[in-house]
Amino acid sequence: MGASFDIGYVFSFLPKLLDTLGVTLLIVAGSLLTGIVAGFLVALPRMYKIPVLRALSGVYLSFFRGTPILIQLFLFYYGLPELLKPLGFDLSRAPVMLFVILAYGLHTGAYAAEMIRASVEAVDRGQVEAAYAAGMTPYQALSRIVLPQALGIAVPVFSNLVIALLKDTSLAFTLGVMEMTGKAQTLGTLTQHFVETYIALALIYLVISFTLEKVLLAAERRLNRHEAREERVVRRFALGKRGSYRAALADIETGKGGGI
Amino acid sequence: MIELKNISKSFWRHEVLRNINLNVETGEVVVILGPSGSGKTTLLRCVNYLEKPAGGEIAVGDFRMDCARAKRGDVLRLRRKTAMVFQQYNLFRHKTALENVMEALLVVKKLPPKEARGRSVSLLEKVGLGDKLDAYPSRLSGGQQQRVGIARALALEPEVILFDEPTSALDPELVGEVLEVIRNIAREGITMIVVTHEMGFARDVANRVVFMDGGVVVEEGTPDEVFQRPREERTKQFLRRITPEANYSI
Ligand SMILES: Nc1ncnc2c1ncn2[C@@H]1O[C@H](COP(=O)(O)OP(=O)(O)OP(=O)(O)O)[C@@H](O)[C@H]1O
Ligand SMILES: [Mg+2]
Repeated sequence: MGASFDIGYVFSFLPKLLDTLGVTLLIVAGSLLTGIVAGFLVALPRMYKIPVLRALSGVYLSFFRGTPILIQLFLFYYGLPELLKPLGFDLSRAPVMLFVILAYGLHTGAYAAEMIRASVEAVDRGQVEAAYAAGMTPYQALSRIVLPQALGIAVPVFSNLVIALLKDTSLAFTLGVMEMTGKAQTLGTLTQHFVETYIALALIYLVISFTLEKVLLAAERRLNRHEAREERVVRRFALGKRGSYRAALADIETGKGGGI
Repeated sequence: MIELKNISKSFWRHEVLRNINLNVETGEVVVILGPSGSGKTTLLRCVNYLEKPAGGEIAVGDFRMDCARAKRGDVLRLRRKTAMVFQQYNLFRHKTALENVMEALLVVKKLPPKEARGRSVSLLEKVGLGDKLDAYPSRLSGGQQQRVGIARALALEPEVILFDEPTSALDPELVGEVLEVIRNIAREGITMIVVTHEMGFARDVANRVVFMDGGVVVEEGTPDEVFQRPREERTKQFLRRITPEANYSI
């Protein structure tokens, strides 16, 4: 089906697709922001073992990690207005983008919560005790000792999370949002050059993912520079050691990565 | 002066400390000895409330606290009068040696940065690390890390420093440098409670030795009394096991 393959279309589609890159990035940024806030709210009761809230956050995690993102999108888009109507909120005129960012944000929040909890718990307990023994308050110990180190530990997981989110946003078109994948669909239908559109689309996702990964890797190195041994040793053993460290932490993220 | 009265502590059903009483005079160095599992670490950790005692009273200087009824503010006050040196050093790994020592001065004592820095530099010089101010813990040997830990404790000017086996995580050749530092600060009249298995050090530095077993204080006295003329059978057994025959008879 469709017209015969012509590589030229790939190049002519690139700028057209890039026109909608802003929409994709807006979903990513909005969802990340929402997700990190949600992640903290969900992680805290789990870390501090607060009875009722902890159970609620467990339900939240199960739902967002145990159901496909596509269904979450539909549930938010069609279900939320119904749910809120009896309470006097009319969401029928609310922009689609609101539902999209909310769904992706809360979805990301579930993974962010686990990232936050695992990173905080990876900072060795002895340092917290040293902070307490010196008379610091729990808040001081968290903000000055634990979080700065947890940040460095979280970056590899965060990197996976952002890239997964970027790829997941390609499903927003199902609600009619004209982001990159939606645009690609339209272009394909118009010109019948489907393969070329999707090659162009894949190229763009690939370049963004690759760039994000490199930038975050640099951030990780910088945040963890206090763990660096002698420079020369780092270079020689970096691959093996860092690889396994990253892999171990990235394991927290298992199951994440595909949309549907 | 430190006063522990009837300190008790259980983990679940397991009673680890039973009504411990211990007084430490200002400037005194008390060494706690005892077999593994006798509750030495737990006792030290009760003194600064890293473990919550089930009951008893703790007094440090002019501050007195009923353990069962301690409030958050009481715990902070108690901790601000004590300092601890840990077996595993527990340095803040994202901070340099200097920042490790300065941290509590800035955050807890709220000193101006300049003053905190000055005090920290001179303490690090005192423990022989004047040339390692900007080194991260990952670049320091165990002995150096523990000396940073000691400087960090000294910086707080506590009424008492609690040492939990400060040298037992160290390679044998690094033990000496750390004991030397502790010996020096003991001479300056800083009050210390030290849990250690270093018998020579205990004999040297302690004003008083406390022998614990099974969560109680079995025997206490001067190093001479406890090492040369132990009264209790359990103390004798422990000393026989831990000290080579030749040493014991000296
Ligand atoms: N957090 C804990 N939970 C449960 N039991 C504990 C805990 N900490 C210590 N214990 C138990 O309390 C007892 C005393 O432990 P503690 O660490 O105080 O002994 P110790 O005299 O310091 O021994 P060691 O010489 O081996 O360091 C042990 O039986 C230990 O198993
Ligand atoms: Mg111990």
